[in-house]
Amino acid sequence: MMKNWRQMMPTAEAYWLDKALYELHHRPDDLEHYRRDPHGYLARYRLTPRAKAAILGNDVAALYEAGVNPYLLRAHCIGMRIPEAVSLAALRGVKEG
Amino acid sequence: MAQITGIFAASHTPVMLQFPEAIPAADREEIYAAFRETGKAIAASKPQAIVVFSDDHLHNFFLNNLPAICIGAADQYPAPVEHWLKAEKRVLQGDAGLGAYLLSSALENGFDPSFSMELTLDHGVLTPLELAGVARDVPVVPVLFNCVQPPMPTMRRCYQFGDWLGRALRAYGALERVAILATGGISHDLATPRMGMVNEAFDREFLRLLEAADGAGAVTFAAERVHEAGNGAEEIRMWLAAMGCAEGRPFRTHYYRAVRDWYTGIALGSWASA
Repeated sequence: MMKNWRQMMPTAEAYWLDKALYELHHRPDDLEHYRRDPHGYLARYRLTPRAKAAILGNDVAALYEAGVNPYLLRAHCIGMRIPEAVSLAALRGVKEG
Repeated sequence: MAQITGIFAASHTPVMLQFPEAIPAADREEIYAAFRETGKAIAASKPQAIVVFSDDHLHNFFLNNLPAICIGAADQYPAPVEHWLKAEKRVLQGDAGLGAYLLSSALENGFDPSFSMELTLDHGVLTPLELAGVARDVPVVPVLFNCVQPPMPTMRRCYQFGDWLGRALRAYGALERVAILATGGISHDLATPRMGMVNEAFDREFLRLLEAADGAGAVTFAAERVHEAGNGAEEIRMWLAAMGCAEGRPFRTHYYRAVRDWYTGIALGSWASA
């Protein structure tokens, strides 16, 4: 049976993904900065290349598979105005091992 | 000595405010009416403060410092913290004295919550108060349980914390009337391949155990079966804490509906008065 959590303790990669998504939606002007210069904005975080690519590509499935906290992922999808149908389809396409 | 005037529980989801049109108007009105009824019952109990059991959905807290349980001890709480939530920005009045009392009493009685004197509350507290129509009227004391990022406090610990908190409230001398509102759950799952799943069988069995006042059964069921009901169902910690406050009295379910297009098994109810 699927568990509620992909990681019962986040990996370092997941932590820094969480940190980037958290600050993007909580620090004043960060969202505007990110939209203007996404590569420059993300350079401040210790992101693996695949983690950075997942954020830049709005790759909801890859963010989920990397262990991003579901509440941060949900808020990111709403905050980035990723259409609900798109994020749902991406998540439902993930094959749980 | 304070009287606990009522112990209430209600689901919360930002979708109720964010995407109201996602469900048929008749269903929506029925749910909003259930919240208004709970609001009327809270108001009729004439509390001088409401202790709200909820969770912070990673807004005030982050993984660099994430309390298992945090008691608010501020005299006001701006809300909502979510920049995207379709809710009027407002400032909820707090009861800093009651928060400080609960904090010191907890520490003297074997619990170690953190405290915060500055919280910007999220939909978890605001949505049920707003829909119940009591967001402006009564000072609140938020008690925030980590239900959003493992590792989390156990279901049993949350029940025990509620059991202590009920006793602490009854021993509080500075107010005469205090209500408790637990918010969250029941089954729902966010941002996973199961998103949209509602487990009605889980919800109804959990409610049955509350109605039977089976504290041990509810704790065991929650701990062993929560993975069947989604990551949002972890919020039943707040319901168990409220059950702990109720001194073994039975719960009454006022409303339940599995609302798949709001992604949530929505329930409201209360524990019988002493």
